Amino acid sequence: MQKNHGSAFDRVIVIGYGKVTGEVLRFVCGRQEEYGYRTEFIEHEVHPFSVTEKICSENHIPFARITDKQELAGIFLQIEEKTLIVSASNNFIFPGALMEKENITVINFHNALLPDYAGRNAPTWVIYNGEEETGITWHYVTGGVDEGDIIIQKHCGIGPDTKAYELTERLMDLASEAFRECFGDVIKECAAARPQSLDPARRMFRSREVPAGGVFAMTDTPEHIYRLLRSVDYGKNDIFPPICTQIDGRKAEILRYRRISPDRRRDEEGTVCLPLADGDLLKLKYRYTDQ
Amino acid sequence: MEEKILAILEEHCEEALQYTGDNMMEDGVIDSFTVINLVSDLEDEFDIEIDAKYVVAENFKNKEAIIALVRRLVEE
Repeated sequence: MQKNHGSAFDRVIVIGYGKVTGEVLRFVCGRQEEYGYRTEFIEHEVHPFSVTEKICSENHIPFARITDKQELAGIFLQIEEKTLIVSASNNFIFPGALMEKENITVINFHNALLPDYAGRNAPTWVIYNGEEETGITWHYVTGGVDEGDIIIQKHCGIGPDTKAYELTERLMDLASEAFRECFGDVIKECAAARPQSLDPARRMFRSREVPAGGVFAMTDTPEHIYRLLRSVDYGKNDIFPPICTQIDGRKAEILRYRRISPDRRRDEEGTVCLPLADGDLLKLKYRYTDQ
Repeated sequence: MEEKILAILEEHCEEALQYTGDNMMEDGVIDSFTVINLVSDLEDEFDIEIDAKYVVAENFKNKEAIIALVRRLVEE
């Protein structure tokens, strides 16, 4: 392979898990001949449906599974070549010392419109807060979390029934699209990035924070309950504990929920229907947890 | 039961009905988000709980594996 047909980097390392990671990895692999860099992939968090190992195998890309944070940090710190690290849906926090290395550039995908909703589980918080719009940000990584200059952003709407996993999928598609648009400038180090306008009082969402503490009262509005349930709904990915409430004085956790029209109402054991303002019902299936 | 499962599968991924291999995920027929949607609709349709331990590639490798999983859970 001939070196540097326009790339400012010798190596591109992709790190992450999930759908956007696969899309980004495929794109980076597909451009390495054109730009003249080497592609590598690191899996730090194992995903049950990951396809990255197969992509690497098909494209003869080195694949490394490094789940230990200290080991991974050590590997990054030893890099001597000019390297671009693409953090695509990745929860590893890059050590400050890495950011000080002149030969290392890191870009990261954040699933919200920075500087708003920095930190973890942004799709949850935008739904819970009733936002009507969100989006994605690709930004340079600095010593602070989600604080680096913005390379590109894309917006999308949040519907009244949008669940966290649905929004996450939409955001990942947007992230892939945005990455394809900005990669050429990033790899040539000519991306027109802009600094974030950081409010010192901005909120940083932590991984253990749960909307409403994961609890609602049956006297809350059905709209609030529905928003809370949608905001933590990542399917079977137990990112959050089950949402709990009290039903007939007993502790209960919500198993499933669904908006239904009144004609689909069936009075079944372990379910309750709450009237939404638009005439539909919020059907909750629950189980008692105090036995 | 099989017809209902196939109808749900068709709603989320028509291509899965024609698939004859043994890893829909790796072959790019479905992705993790399709699985989330499938699980949600299958739980509703058959009033079952598909525990996270069952949400693995092996149980979603093709339509036969999905049918077998649902059948097993319904009969439990």
